Amino acid sequence: MYLGCLYVMVALGLTLIYGVLNQINFAHADFVTVGAFAAFFTVTRFATKTLGLPDAGAYLVSLVVALGVGALLGLAINAAVFAPLRERGDELRPLIATIGVSVLLENAQLALFGPIPYQFDSPFARETIRIGRIFFTGQSVLVVAVSAVSIAALYAFMRYTFLGKALRAVAQDRETAGLMGINPGLLIGLTIVIASALAGMAGALLGPVLVLTPFAGASVVVKAFAIVIIGGFGNMQGTIIAGILVGIIEAFTVQYLGSGLIDLVVFVLLLAMLVVRPTGIIAERKEENV
Amino acid sequence: MKLISRLALACAMGVVSLATLAQDKVIRIGVLMPISGPGSYFGVQDKEGMELALEHLKGMASGYKLQVQYEDSACSPLQATNTVKRVLDQFKPHIVIGEECSDASLAIAPILEQNKVVQLNAGSVTMKLTESGYKYVFRIFPNAEQQSGPLVKVALGHLKAKTAVILHEKTNAGVDNAEGFKKPFEAAGGKVLAVIDFGRDVNDFTSIATRIASLGAVDVLPTFALEGQTVRLAQALAQAKVVKGGGGKGVQMGSIWLPWGFDQKAGQAAEGYVRIVQFDPGENRKMVQDFVKAFKAKYGADRTPSHINAHAYDTVMLVAEAVKRGAKDAEGIREQFSKFKNVEVTTGKITFDPKGQNSDLSVVHFVETQKDLSWKSINWQQ
Repeated sequence: MYLGCLYVMVALGLTLIYGVLNQINFAHADFVTVGAFAAFFTVTRFATKTLGLPDAGAYLVSLVVALGVGALLGLAINAAVFAPLRERGDELRPLIATIGVSVLLENAQLALFGPIPYQFDSPFARETIRIGRIFFTGQSVLVVAVSAVSIAALYAFMRYTFLGKALRAVAQDRETAGLMGINPGLLIGLTIVIASALAGMAGALLGPVLVLTPFAGASVVVKAFAIVIIGGFGNMQGTIIAGILVGIIEAFTVQYLGSGLIDLVVFVLLLAMLVVRPTGIIAERKEENV
Repeated sequence: MKLISRLALACAMGVVSLATLAQDKVIRIGVLMPISGPGSYFGVQDKEGMELALEHLKGMASGYKLQVQYEDSACSPLQATNTVKRVLDQFKPHIVIGEECSDASLAIAPILEQNKVVQLNAGSVTMKLTESGYKYVFRIFPNAEQQSGPLVKVALGHLKAKTAVILHEKTNAGVDNAEGFKKPFEAAGGKVLAVIDFGRDVNDFTSIATRIASLGAVDVLPTFALEGQTVRLAQALAQAKVVKGGGGKGVQMGSIWLPWGFDQKAGQAAEGYVRIVQFDPGENRKMVQDFVKAFKAKYGADRTPSHINAHAYDTVMLVAEAVKRGAKDAEGIREQFSKFKNVEVTTGKITFDPKGQNSDLSVVHFVETQKDLSWKSINWQQ
């Protein structure tokens, strides 16, 4: 369940960007990794040493820092790379640029942090809760709680706030939204910032679970892509359901079939979905003028 | 004028001869290692070890210049194949050191064999590398059977284990190590309750640990995976109360794969971990202590060299040793390597058997992680 929530946190960012821009962000994994490192250094160098916070407090602070770092990174990269390419009216160049940004971020982190794994421990990961033979950690509970709050907040934002509605309008029809007085460029930027912030915070939650190296995000983002497809491209509710479903399937696969078959099972599910229901679990309703 | 012309010609010929001679007095060492991608974990440490060796030798051996060219093979068989072909064509090495990953090492072996260029391997475990009949392949790293064999003997003889769960990464190396444990353990009457494999991208081991906890009493858990995953696995097994570090009874067993510093990263979960080590930075041998001092002087007093650093250092030292013994080209290096007997290096002694595998395991010994996360050497006969 908690693994599913982590996948949802990562996949939601991808879904948001696709929903508004009709574009895949290949650099998403690296935003997750940046978030994980931001949290790691916040805990080990700043929160405990400089602020003198206890471990639990330091880790919670690092979640907020990772959220902020992710958002700032998204803002910077959108301003420097994606927005200028979009203004040229080109759909392909921003897509290719995401690959370039991914390579840049990965190698920058490799140069800064090196390839040897960092040990990122959360105090919540040390607390174990047992129910019979099943056990889970405090970290799992925290992940589920934070994910639930984040997803609820995002949903509420998209549904009930003016900006959220404007964002949905841009996702539906960018040109018409522009004619209605909405600034599409600003809202696309906001989408990227929100998606990056979510990825950053997902990284902070994943840090104590992952083997923390500059390549850490890649290990989850492949499944996140699968979840986006299974849930339905650009559909938030579908992504949430698909993410939790994949997490549960993964856990059962390990228990009953073997951990070596995880990827096989997930991608068989993906293929099955593409064949049986290509629009995803919850298909997006598209209206056409006949 | 004629005399001047003749003198000028003689001088020019002399200069050309000297230049040619200088060019001839070079041993070209191609190094294929993972510099990019997740495998750069090895590449960075390899390069550190090799640079230290070159510094120690001042880049020379018996008047020959050791010319090293580093190439990225990314732990990928495809990239390694393309890279080695390019290196053979452009650099024309006398010897290639690499690769780290078994799959990539296997990919380049036949190419180097065909080109009669020596391959010196210091990181791959797969039996196939030295069991395929290659004459130009040499390996100083203990193979899967050399690593798993002692684990089985200790599991049965000292730990009195009756049951085991084998955990391994899904690579040639992991599979070979797992088989190297499973077969002799079962042949001696032990029962393997499960063999659990996982990809290098698996991070969460909670489900695996839960599954192992449901299997009943497990005496030993031999694990063959890289450092990062082994840390997470140890922590999950401790939380599941399967292993000693978590209050359980199972003993985790590890191989030479685990570097110095693993225990500190895994924390209390590593308590009671039993493993074999080949390079021990605490070993009293002068060569080891000199290496550790030189490493700290170059890379920082807070750094302790790992076995990856040490093996890489040894590869360059062995090439230099072959040159000191008269090797001038690939054939000469191959010949000298074949004759090596008890050549001392930081990771022990080198005696290559007819298949090119180092057969000397005299420094390989067991250590157990203590409560304070330090190593304690155990004098268990293998």
